[in-house]
Amino acid sequence: MKIVMKFGGTSVGTGENIRHVADLVTEYAKNDCRVAVVVSALAGVTNSLMEVACQAKKSDAKHIEAFTKELLQKHLKAISIAIKSKVIQKEVNQITENTISELEKVLTGICYVGELTPKSKDYVASFGERLSAPIVWGALKDHKAETQCFTGKEAGIVTDSNFGEAEPLMNYTTHLIRERLGPIVEKGVIPIVTGFIAADQNGVVTTVGRGGSDYTATILGVALSVDEVWIWTDVDGIMTADPRIIPSARMLPELSYQEAAEMAIFGAKAMHPRALEPVIEAKIPVRIRSTMHSENLGTLITDADSAKSTSAVKAVALIKDVAMVNVNGAGMVGAPGSYAKVFDVLGKNGINIMMVSTAVSEANISMIIRRSLVGRALSTLEIALLGRGTVSEVTAEDDVAVVAVMGANMKGTTGVASRIFATVANAGINIRMIAQGSSELNISFVVKEKDGAAVVRAIHKEFALDKI
Amino acid sequence: MRIILVGYGVVGKGVTTILARKYTEKVKDNGFSPKIVAIADIDGAVINPRGLSPEKLEAIRQRGYPISADPEFGHKGMPALDVIESVEAEVVVEVTPVNIKNGEPALSHITRAFKTGKHVVTTNKGPLALAMPALTELAEYNNVYLRFSGTVGGGTPMLEFAKKCLAGDKILAIRGILNGTTNYILTEMSQNRVTFQEALANAQKLGYAEREPSMDIDGFDTACKVVILANWILNKKITLKDVDRTGIRDVSLQALDEASKRGNTIKLIGSIDGDKATVKPTEIPKNNPICVSGVLNAITFFTEFAGEQTLVGKGAGGIETASAVLRDLLDIRHKLATKILA
Repeated sequence: MKIVMKFGGTSVGTGENIRHVADLVTEYAKNDCRVAVVVSALAGVTNSLMEVACQAKKSDAKHIEAFTKELLQKHLKAISIAIKSKVIQKEVNQITENTISELEKVLTGICYVGELTPKSKDYVASFGERLSAPIVWGALKDHKAETQCFTGKEAGIVTDSNFGEAEPLMNYTTHLIRERLGPIVEKGVIPIVTGFIAADQNGVVTTVGRGGSDYTATILGVALSVDEVWIWTDVDGIMTADPRIIPSARMLPELSYQEAAEMAIFGAKAMHPRALEPVIEAKIPVRIRSTMHSENLGTLITDADSAKSTSAVKAVALIKDVAMVNVNGAGMVGAPGSYAKVFDVLGKNGINIMMVSTAVSEANISMIIRRSLVGRALSTLEIALLGRGTVSEVTAEDDVAVVAVMGANMKGTTGVASRIFATVANAGINIRMIAQGSSELNISFVVKEKDGAAVVRAIHKEFALDKI
Repeated sequence: MRIILVGYGVVGKGVTTILARKYTEKVKDNGFSPKIVAIADIDGAVINPRGLSPEKLEAIRQRGYPISADPEFGHKGMPALDVIESVEAEVVVEVTPVNIKNGEPALSHITRAFKTGKHVVTTNKGPLALAMPALTELAEYNNVYLRFSGTVGGGTPMLEFAKKCLAGDKILAIRGILNGTTNYILTEMSQNRVTFQEALANAQKLGYAEREPSMDIDGFDTACKVVILANWILNKKITLKDVDRTGIRDVSLQALDEASKRGNTIKLIGSIDGDKATVKPTEIPKNNPICVSGVLNAITFFTEFAGEQTLVGKGAGGIETASAVLRDLLDIRHKLATKILA
């Protein structure tokens, strides 16, 4: 069996955790498993790198030294715990010190020119993974495993030059990875590859942005034609609901790619749809499982046909931190282009619309956006559209939440919507807005935020998701 | 439209009063929905990103100073510059007291607003008189609007009249009585035969003149307005130091009497003719339409085709000037709407 294993920020967050990661990897490697490892930066490091880079841009040099010192301490401490052998420790310490001294120079450079381009931002961001990967490498070596450390660039991930959100040149990348990592994986060597970071064709460091290290893992999985991609994280798998709302929420053993993509709105706990793209085409299953409970097999995301499940509804999610914007006006009725104008105004102002609902009467349109953007959205829509005869009023409600009910088998199953809405009605809760795409994988509706948890609980119970 | 109000004096209060009224009017009638998201004054600020309600604005007005004492939204000690920088809004309304020495703090407020991409409406003559060419360039560079119709003529739309209504015609010269205080003093002197000192004391008693009256009677206020007119209407890049200025301290009763015998009177006239910008007491015929009495202002535009056009109106007052702010806000809103949909 050949597996790509990706370990997230929490999984490599401390020396103890890294040691545990090394245990897990060597255990599988011993059992006749070929393993390639993708690692994220230590939890919190990438964010702090971005913060210090922004400070450096403001020519604020005084933070740099303190920051790099703290960063060095954090990594040295992890090394001292993760790696027992003094020789290996010393080697990794040296790598870490060199890398951090390079970082210090980069930050000082940014500070002098007072400029932080997307290009230099990617370069700074790459340091998180460049620091974590050698520690995992050392820990594996400490376990007497044959291993070799690569940056995304060295592994052969080549992207376009769209810094911050680079897109891999998939075929070229596949070619290079096969050439560079293929033979050593076959020999039983464990390559450690930095997640998230890559390089463009000129060798300039890029990052893949959305999807991050998961994306690196699936790219690697496809290139190495692995049997499964395992995303090791701090949750047991994808759940039927947020366990903080529903303690009896269950882990879903199997999901289709489409379902998993829909569940991206569960946030960081699921995978970004973009990260799933490569494996969907290659039909390689992805497993999400917990480093803390490695005895659990987690959630297997696979090709829809093989996902054998009968339940129509598989999960229910609550999306908070959103606001509803309503645009009303009898003048919009039958007026071609009136919705386009609304979307255009929001789009031009960088406001992403998460959900839309409008009735055939056309007299109003409701949209869900991020709550932090509601002031800007309201103001721009009012300025642009009021007083022109089509739109008479723009309002917003920021005490709302979206409830999303998901499952691939909802498609074609009659009565799901009626059960959902009857359940909400029986709980005495009013629905403010409804949307279902024709894919039928997902029904989303909006309720008052204070009612959100109760609705999620009621639906979870109605569809017996705790017994799934 | 989200608004940050900087300065909570007579004009600032007037602005909140007028905008609070607008909340209750149906937006569809005028397509304008203003929200004051912050008020900044010397002591600190009141901030509510969702907009301060009319009731809240009234409560702030009733409580008076310090405004940052508001239990819900008060931010004690928060500098206006920080408010301008950190609060999300489309427009900054700058109505702090006039300073013609260095234009501060208004000058900094305006430039900071520009830098953060916010449009500016101001009634403050100081920064404009000292740095108008610089400010208009900065506004243009930052792709924002600077509006200041309240600086000349108060509620009387003198700037817009010339800029918009006389578009296409060529304005050859401008002449006006642009300061209510001095006009009141000169009217008192000529009609009631009181001395300059008595008339000034009267004006101070009635609240028309400041305790420190130099700004008005030495012609600085009029000169500021001349600078704004010259820049905005005639595209002349002048500042306060380019104005040849004489105040009314030396106007005597005797001079007024002699003028009267000729059917004339003496007024403090600000004028721009060719490259000459002047403020000085000038003898004009009593039957000239510009010859208004009391605190009224009047302005005549001499145009190439449409002849002489004279506008008369109240030149100052909190609520009148605040109405000019509203006018500017609507103008910006209109321009923005066109821009967003383009």
